[in-house]
Amino acid sequence: MAITMDGVELGVTISEKAAGKIRYFASKEGLGDDVGLRVAVKGGGCSGLTYDLQITDQQLETDKVVEQYGIKVMVDKKSFIYLVGTELEFSDGLNGKGFVFTNPNAKKSCGCGTSFSV
Amino acid sequence: MSTRAVYSDLAAEYDAVSTAAGLHDASYVGRLKATGEDSLDLLNRLSTNKVIDLETGQGAPTILTTDRGRILDLIGVVNLGDHVLLITSPGCQERVIEFLDKYTIMEDLVVEDVTLESAMFSVMGPTSQAALEAAAGTGLDGLGPYHNIRAEIGGESATVVYRPMGELPSFDILVSPEAATAVWERLLADGIAPVGSEAVEIARIKNAVPAFGPEMGEPYNPLEAGLIGSIDFAKGCYIGQEVIARLDTYQRVQKYLVTLTFSPEAQVDAGSTLARDGKQVGSVTSVTHLPDGEQLIGLGYVRKASAEAGVRLELEEPATGWAEVRDLPQLFGPGQD
Repeated sequence: MAITMDGVELGVTISEKAAGKIRYFASKEGLGDDVGLRVAVKGGGCSGLTYDLQITDQQLETDKVVEQYGIKVMVDKKSFIYLVGTELEFSDGLNGKGFVFTNPNAKKSCGCGTSFSV
Repeated sequence: MSTRAVYSDLAAEYDAVSTAAGLHDASYVGRLKATGEDSLDLLNRLSTNKVIDLETGQGAPTILTTDRGRILDLIGVVNLGDHVLLITSPGCQERVIEFLDKYTIMEDLVVEDVTLESAMFSVMGPTSQAALEAAAGTGLDGLGPYHNIRAEIGGESATVVYRPMGELPSFDILVSPEAATAVWERLLADGIAPVGSEAVEIARIKNAVPAFGPEMGEPYNPLEAGLIGSIDFAKGCYIGQEVIARLDTYQRVQKYLVTLTFSPEAQVDAGSTLARDGKQVGSVTSVTHLPDGEQLIGLGYVRKASAEAGVRLELEEPATGWAEVRDLPQLFGPGQD
């Protein structure tokens, strides 16, 4: 079932900058243009749940898939529950944090921002 | 067989455990079977110690903590090769399973309670290693905490897990329920005296082993409970890591587990309040009489400023007498550098 807000279906969105970085890392790994990004949640991290990113072409039948800026963003069914509405940004520069998640489901996050609880 | 409070004579049983070797039916201790290729990886991400590299035969104590760094339970992670055995505090199986299930998202991990599927006997005491080596016909040198070895006792196959009670050596023997009687009888025949739960409880307090309930649980964090030796500060994130690292770095631990002795005439119970110069500074969590000279010993939590050997504290009414802090025990030793 689609989860919507104001008539718009919510999913996991990535920024243009994040998409550019994903393409950059994929090419460094020697992967072609047709790359996908798996966004998942794993148990662990300071607050209980932690984000996991993988560049992959392996798609599961039950994945939620949305193509954004040429990147196929794949989220497995169970992780989707924790990630719906999440935005993935990339923060660079000297104090840059790398990939940064803004997750509306997270009630608490740890200091470094890679772990959260719902 | 079966756990009794006392088999024949409490003083003799405590004497066996503290000076020789005693045999205790510890089948009430929780055992969980973790299967799936992500078992150690997920446990590593959810608990305080580094368990990801444990090879078959190895094991380690680790603590499941809440996101506030409080103790959910101390568990022994035992790598048996085909699966991982988790030894929990008695009665904590359900809370550990619920916690692990909650954080198993995509991982390959199934945890089931197998406490009733085996019998578990502990051979405990200073001579327990030699006594068990004689019975099992195998060497037990060099087993670290929660390391394990396969053995044959009384013609039955058994798994031996080293689970020391502080300074006191203790080995758990896991056997199938069908083999339990034969193994128990064989160990008795080797001169290892049966020991009931009362003598074991005295040995626990004497050796400053925190128990779930009185000394471990969500009111406490692992640093307060003297469990720093089961925390790896370098391995990366786990649930509660940020809080525990901060408490350690900024020395913000508020209270510590201490061993206590009491004045000869003291009237004291678990829960009695400890005061210093009329101000409350802690409480007694466990207390017992040593069977020989009737000396009272105990465990308690005391605020940091008073948690020093030799500090004398008043017992508040309705308790009477005084308590003296003896030591700040660390079950698995001081922290790792």
